[in-house]
Amino acid sequence: MLFLLRRSFRLKTEEIKTEHQELLEELRKVIDNTLGGSLFVREVDTGSCNACEVEIANLNNPYYDVERFGIKFVASPKHADVLLITGCVTRNMLVPMMKAYHNAPKPKFVITVGDCAKDCSYFKNSYAVEGPVERHIPVDLHIPGCPPEPSQIIEGFLKLLNKRGR
Amino acid sequence: MFLKEENVEAHQLYSKVREVISKGFYLFSMVGGDERELGGGFAIRYFFMKQGDLKVFTLRTEDVFPSVVPICPSSKNYEREIRDMFGIFPEGHPDSRKLMLYPENWDPAIHPLRKDYKGQKPEFKKYGNYNYKKVIGDGVNEILVGPIHAGIIEPGHFRFSLAGEAILQLEIRHFWKHRGIEKLCEGKDPEEVLRIVNRISGDNAVNLSIAYLNAVEPLLGVELSERAKTIRSILGEVERLWNHVRDIGWLFMDIGFPLVAQHLFSLQERLMRFNKAIAGHRFMFDVCELGGVKTDFDKNRERELFDLLELIEREIKHTEDFAIETPSVRDRFETTGRVFKKTALELSLCGVCARASGLERDTRLELPYLAYQDVHPQVHEEGDVMARFLVRVGEIYESIRLIKLFLKNMPEHTKNTHKIQKPEPYSWNMGNAETPRGNAFFFVMFDKHGKVYRLKYVDPSFRNWPAIQYAVLGDIIADFPLVNKSMNLSYAGNDL
Repeated sequence: MLFLLRRSFRLKTEEIKTEHQELLEELRKVIDNTLGGSLFVREVDTGSCNACEVEIANLNNPYYDVERFGIKFVASPKHADVLLITGCVTRNMLVPMMKAYHNAPKPKFVITVGDCAKDCSYFKNSYAVEGPVERHIPVDLHIPGCPPEPSQIIEGFLKLLNKRGR
Repeated sequence: MFLKEENVEAHQLYSKVREVISKGFYLFSMVGGDERELGGGFAIRYFFMKQGDLKVFTLRTEDVFPSVVPICPSSKNYEREIRDMFGIFPEGHPDSRKLMLYPENWDPAIHPLRKDYKGQKPEFKKYGNYNYKKVIGDGVNEILVGPIHAGIIEPGHFRFSLAGEAILQLEIRHFWKHRGIEKLCEGKDPEEVLRIVNRISGDNAVNLSIAYLNAVEPLLGVELSERAKTIRSILGEVERLWNHVRDIGWLFMDIGFPLVAQHLFSLQERLMRFNKAIAGHRFMFDVCELGGVKTDFDKNRERELFDLLELIEREIKHTEDFAIETPSVRDRFETTGRVFKKTALELSLCGVCARASGLERDTRLELPYLAYQDVHPQVHEEGDVMARFLVRVGEIYESIRLIKLFLKNMPEHTKNTHKIQKPEPYSWNMGNAETPRGNAFFFVMFDKHGKVYRLKYVDPSFRNWPAIQYAVLGDIIADFPLVNKSMNLSYAGNDL
């Protein structure tokens, strides 16, 4: 167990210093300044291939660990400041997505993650797809990529917060 | 080299199916197709498999076909799917509910995979209800979960009926993410379809494209070089590694050992960064192309991969020891979420779930492809969470052994070929690969212009989802996330 402890922390600090330190420092500053220290996020998958979900989940791994800056993924849209929406909005997910949106308290922000959420990507023209997200609810920010990498998602958060700060 | 199909009349079907099942075959897949334009009515192809031996029965019909559910329970969802998609009816099917087209928003008279369906969507309104099964009695209560879950995962609806703590029944409703992929692929070039195939189930992209290319390349007369075969196999195994490392991580997360979990997630991150270095993409999307692969190994990369493998082997050994030596881990893992061998046989399971329940099913063994030879299957008998954990651990060691072997025997020849013939009109082929979750099955038929006429994909999760409904019986609800993660099935691949 101690062995695991040591390894885990060594891996963590080593990498982050060389790669994303500046980005993460900036994130900490912006969250502290504009939101009083925390940002609650609810992730809603409306028909992705699961790659976006994997990358969003990776934000919590020791390399990024966004929770230490106050970004927390919450269990219910009722607790959320931000809805992080992925996928091309399938016909079957349209109603659940709208419910999640209406259940999030105001003020709320919607970030779309990944190309599918922007324009349905490879899945446009399908009988089962009702997207993109923008057709149904207002979107504050889009993070492009198929799927975007964790650092790009963090940059997206920053962009949203800076916009809000002004 | 292509499979022979045997035409079967409706009245013979029962005896044929009964015969192969009694010989030890299991239902590998069922493929519906609208071949009315070709004068063949609706074709239903039944694939039965026994240790690499395949039997294909083709039943042709205009409107109805006999349901084989009573003698072959694993055909249940295949037949429901065919009913939704083609509007032909399995007579005697025990479940009359819709599968992927929801009566809450889709006109039940419209069947999208029929060739005369041109893509007009029905009005978005309620056409009917979906009736859930009910357990009635004193003290029985229901817990509804989803479609949107608490964690960062995909949508699916779970209904638990409980008496006190014990789960009496779990009903799963899926296909929330149904994207209509099979219809989308029709009329497209094989290359275009390959890009869609990569995005069916993102974390299995490489193995899915391998399966698809296994179906398509022989039809197009593509002769793959030995080097390309070896590189594809290595990339497929790297994908298995990062999937299994992550899945084991989630198991520890769910039993309150986040430190071990985070440690494994950092290994997953290392592997995904290696993916990015070798294939330019963290999930290796689009790394396989018709006739080859878009990447190559040189000495530096081999070294880098080799070091990473050493690290993973060591860390996974520590994790395995930790799990076995820690009573509180064994307490949660052992006897939880059992799938008995009999159930596994009846449901025709595949992949990790099948091997953890004592079935030696591995596509790399049954239908060897690419550079695979003498794969050692990892089989455990107990069928519980611990067995699935140990199968994954064993497969990590096996993948590492295979990758090292492939690297050692890397052939020196040219890599890619661009010779592509026009496929024979209306010829079909199947392609398989063992994804980290189990067997991926593709059926591809080309039309006379060389475009895809019919593509059917069967995800390992499509076969394995029903197993969870049996695994949780008698367990407490707090164990459900653990059972679910131990199988880690895909929603996107299942829903298509």
